[in-house]
Amino acid sequence: MTTDRIFTVENVTLRFGGVVSLNDVNLFQNRGEILAVIGPNGAGKTSLFNSLTGVYQPQEGEITFMGRDAKPMSIIGRKAHRVSSAGVARTFQASRMFSALTAFENVKIGAESHKGFGVVGAMLKGPRTRRNEKESDATTIRLMDFVGLRQKANVIAASLSYGDRRRLEIARGLATNPEVLLLDEPAAGTNPAEKLGLATLIRRVRDEMGVSILLIEHDMKLVMSLAERLYVLNFGSVIADGTPAEIRANPAVIEAYLGSSADETEELA
Amino acid sequence: MKAFVKRPFVSHLLTSIGAMAIFELMTGPPGSSTTPTAGFTGSFGERASFFGLFATYRFVVFLALAVIVSGVWTLWQSRGSVIKHGVNTGLARPRAAWQLKPVRTGFFLALFIFALFLPHLETDPYWQSVMVEEIAVYVLLALGLNVVVGFAGLLDLGFVAFYAVGAYVTAWVTGALPTPAPFGIHLNAFFAIPIAIALVMIFGVLIGLPTLRLRGDYLAIVTLGFGEIVTIFANNQYGITGGSEGTNAIPHFSIHLWFIHYVWGLAPVPYYYLTLAFVVVFIIVFSLLEHSRVGRAWTAIREDEVAAESIGINPLKYKVMAFAIGAASAGFAGVVTAGQTIFVNPQSFTLPVSINILALVIFGGMGSIAGVVVGAVLIQTVSMYLLHSPPAGYQSSDLYIYLGAALVLMMIFRPAGLIPSRRRRREIGMAEAGEGHMDEVLTGDTP
Repeated sequence: MTTDRIFTVENVTLRFGGVVSLNDVNLFQNRGEILAVIGPNGAGKTSLFNSLTGVYQPQEGEITFMGRDAKPMSIIGRKAHRVSSAGVARTFQASRMFSALTAFENVKIGAESHKGFGVVGAMLKGPRTRRNEKESDATTIRLMDFVGLRQKANVIAASLSYGDRRRLEIARGLATNPEVLLLDEPAAGTNPAEKLGLATLIRRVRDEMGVSILLIEHDMKLVMSLAERLYVLNFGSVIADGTPAEIRANPAVIEAYLGSSADETEELA
Repeated sequence: MKAFVKRPFVSHLLTSIGAMAIFELMTGPPGSSTTPTAGFTGSFGERASFFGLFATYRFVVFLALAVIVSGVWTLWQSRGSVIKHGVNTGLARPRAAWQLKPVRTGFFLALFIFALFLPHLETDPYWQSVMVEEIAVYVLLALGLNVVVGFAGLLDLGFVAFYAVGAYVTAWVTGALPTPAPFGIHLNAFFAIPIAIALVMIFGVLIGLPTLRLRGDYLAIVTLGFGEIVTIFANNQYGITGGSEGTNAIPHFSIHLWFIHYVWGLAPVPYYYLTLAFVVVFIIVFSLLEHSRVGRAWTAIREDEVAAESIGINPLKYKVMAFAIGAASAGFAGVVTAGQTIFVNPQSFTLPVSINILALVIFGGMGSIAGVVVGAVLIQTVSMYLLHSPPAGYQSSDLYIYLGAALVLMMIFRPAGLIPSRRRRREIGMAEAGEGHMDEVLTGDTP
């Protein structure tokens, strides 16, 4: 194992009763890479994400996360909030905002969740709390700027458009100061113009913030233009991996997609 | 004919008359085995006064009420969406006047000053003791439950357990239990305050750690169970708690510090001021908490636990914190009850008390400190008034009919409570509009 692999997934199997959701999955992600996982519906992509973030606990196999401190850490057996503290941020397929809070508050919660605090200090706004709040506010404003939502900082999250919600979720994830950002179908429900903006944003997250990106996406055009490497999942197993060009030419991939939906194959071709 | 009945006003009127007929039966005189129909005929035919204006029969009064109800109903149907819509879009607009901070602070100050003078305005001994035992104590309980239910969104049906523990700890440290007091020192009730609050908070953590891993309905059932366990324990363990006979005499509060000597006696007013001071402290502490990062984390967990966890919030930690902090004010309420009534028995800590506290919180507005204070004062005052000077035909057990009806009406017309919290109101608005997730399972690829 080399130190520049941020994620190493070895022989991971995840079952729900008799249903095998992930079957002996092996994959890895290099630091600073934009990696995509594609596959037909029900292939296990979101299950993989949930396993990587500690929401699901696979029965077999090992998932290793390597932070900047170059100490390998096992994800399995860790609670989701611990995984987040270690430096793994994520967004959700159906975007999950704290919808009654403003956009600003959404991001701020992410920014302050990893700072230590005392209840009494937090309550009485002691010097440490005030310093922390100032920092969190600065981080929040910087990130709102970064994703282009500065103008909408005081808007209730629920009244944002789909595209803006995606951006907000990315900002909230980035606020936790992650090393890798997992994006679960970031372009779902957005229009072509928003898609283009998202692709630019995702690339900027990697280039300007140095955060590795792991991406699930159905929109082939977006994936092929964005990802540097891809894994293809089908029925819980990795059936192919390689660069976009290699994936396009892979017969197993074409068959997997033919088996599910014709127009997705068209997109692939 | 059918078309006539289907007209909105007619159908509303008929439904209202039906509902009022049932209401009449519920509030009417009971029947007996010798005259089985007395309950029925009496419910409708008994003499009554028309809202104190002139003498008539019960059915006339209820018919009038039915007309009013159907009128309101029809109005609500035609204008309701406008009213509700106004509520929901109001969120994005600037705060309404009563939501501005100076207005709120001023409101609290005015309420506080009024509360300061209240015992001198109302000198009836019944009301003076009600102010402490039934109003101030319930304000404390509602404030505490509001942290758990309103801020953190945890449905706790056994909140009375913390109240009971606070009271019994007071009895314990003052040496009023069959169990010997800790280290054999009989403290006076005043020093029981910090000890009871600390122990109740520890109790909250101990109950919280295993139960708060559950969500929603499961948590409600388990807390219900814990509430019952505490009451039954107190009832059955004669050797420890004195059982159903209750404790021995608990000494009154007293202070003996250097030159300050003060003893709280039998009169309720000194207790009133002691409790009022703590109510103010708890209001300040809880509202500071609400607006700190702890409050934000609670909101995040309440809205979407999975998302909160994904950004590094430990839900269990914050939930346990909510339990312990909410328990603190209930614990203090227990100390006051124990200190003032000099005597504690398990019958004061039954399930209906838990439900009553929850009703106060829901009525006042979950998550809104101003709301639960006003709601608790209002409901407790009305129910104590009804108990003290019941109108003709009112039996004390009828209280829950009216309370239930008030809650139902509240849920229809002001679902976020009397004085709603901004965040809660948005959540309810969005849930009605079908947005936001109440408690949906982690979605996979399923469309």
